[in-house]
Amino acid sequence: MAKQTSYFPELKRNWWLKHPYFVKYMAREATVLPLVFFLVCLLVGLFSLLQGAESWQGWLTFMQNPLVIALNALAFIASLFHAWTFFQLFPRVMPLRVGGRLLPANLMVLGQWLGVVVVMVLAAWIFMRSL
Amino acid sequence: MTTKTLSIQRYLPEQVSAPYWQDFDVPFDDSTSILDALNYVKEELDSSLTYRWSCRMAICGSCGVMVNKTPKLGCNSFLREYEGPVKIAPLAHFPVEKDLIVDMEPFLDHLVAVQPYLIDDSGLTNDDKESTETYKQTPAQMEKYKQFAGCINCGLCYSACPQFGLNPEFLGPAALTLAHRYNLDSRDQGKKQRMPQMNREEGVWSCTFVGFCSAVCPKNVDPAAAVNQGKVESAKDMLISIFKG
Repeated sequence: MAKQTSYFPELKRNWWLKHPYFVKYMAREATVLPLVFFLVCLLVGLFSLLQGAESWQGWLTFMQNPLVIALNALAFIASLFHAWTFFQLFPRVMPLRVGGRLLPANLMVLGQWLGVVVVMVLAAWIFMRSL
Repeated sequence: MTTKTLSIQRYLPEQVSAPYWQDFDVPFDDSTSILDALNYVKEELDSSLTYRWSCRMAICGSCGVMVNKTPKLGCNSFLREYEGPVKIAPLAHFPVEKDLIVDMEPFLDHLVAVQPYLIDDSGLTNDDKESTETYKQTPAQMEKYKQFAGCINCGLCYSACPQFGLNPEFLGPAALTLAHRYNLDSRDQGKKQRMPQMNREEGVWSCTFVGFCSAVCPKNVDPAAAVNQGKVESAKDMLISIFKG
């Protein structure tokens, strides 16, 4: 009987650096990292609100730190980038039929962006009203 | 006629234990496919070069190779598309037997596991089993799965899928696509039998929607869409089974 002669290259940990497509995929996945930072900031903010005026002021000063602003700006851009990729994938995962006809993909993408605008306007309205 | 350098990964286990790269200068014009170039090497330069091919028209699915780290059908990609030297290696994520020949058995095993054929044990289509009447299907019913029925089992999507590369137990793009394709088919009754395979961790849930499978598919089947539609089906199946107890 012939001996085992096949060669099976193992996938190394840096596999995603080997092709531009995989780098782009990892960029999409990595958008979660600055977003985690933003969420931690938000939770700490809520917590300091409970702690009283002094800690709330401390949190406000922390949030005005240029590095914190930069990281949160990055989180905002990253979440928009993630939304952009996600909105394109959505029509492929959940193709919708209206009256037996497939809804065009770009119409679904447009609908999702309209949703984003509505949420932003709503958030801005609530924010402005409280000022 | 100008020439292009083809860098081919050789693996001759009976002579050298490790794979190595070998360069060949191949004349080409606008119509020279990668497969034509490989044929030229075999006929004119080195008859020991081993690779699979058959139809030359992207329907048999046997000439898949990695061209500059991207899975391609040799017959369906052309030297004119590449600047500089072209690196050709066997399909990734499969055991290599010799030169550009890989062992497709892991893929075929996964394919068998999802029962990619019409299962009809209901007797609904033909009351009389002796009847020679064929299945009936409207164009609208066919349209639901038609896109996913174009698979030629070339395996390019498996070479594109890092999740399959990291875990060969993952059923993978083509098998899950075919499972979904038959589940969508109005003539089929086999969804109940396929769902346990799709529900497994190595089923649809191992997919992280990298999407490279759909980018490399030579038949535009969009396996990533099928697998992720399979996730929706799997989630529905789980909810239903919870309520049924």
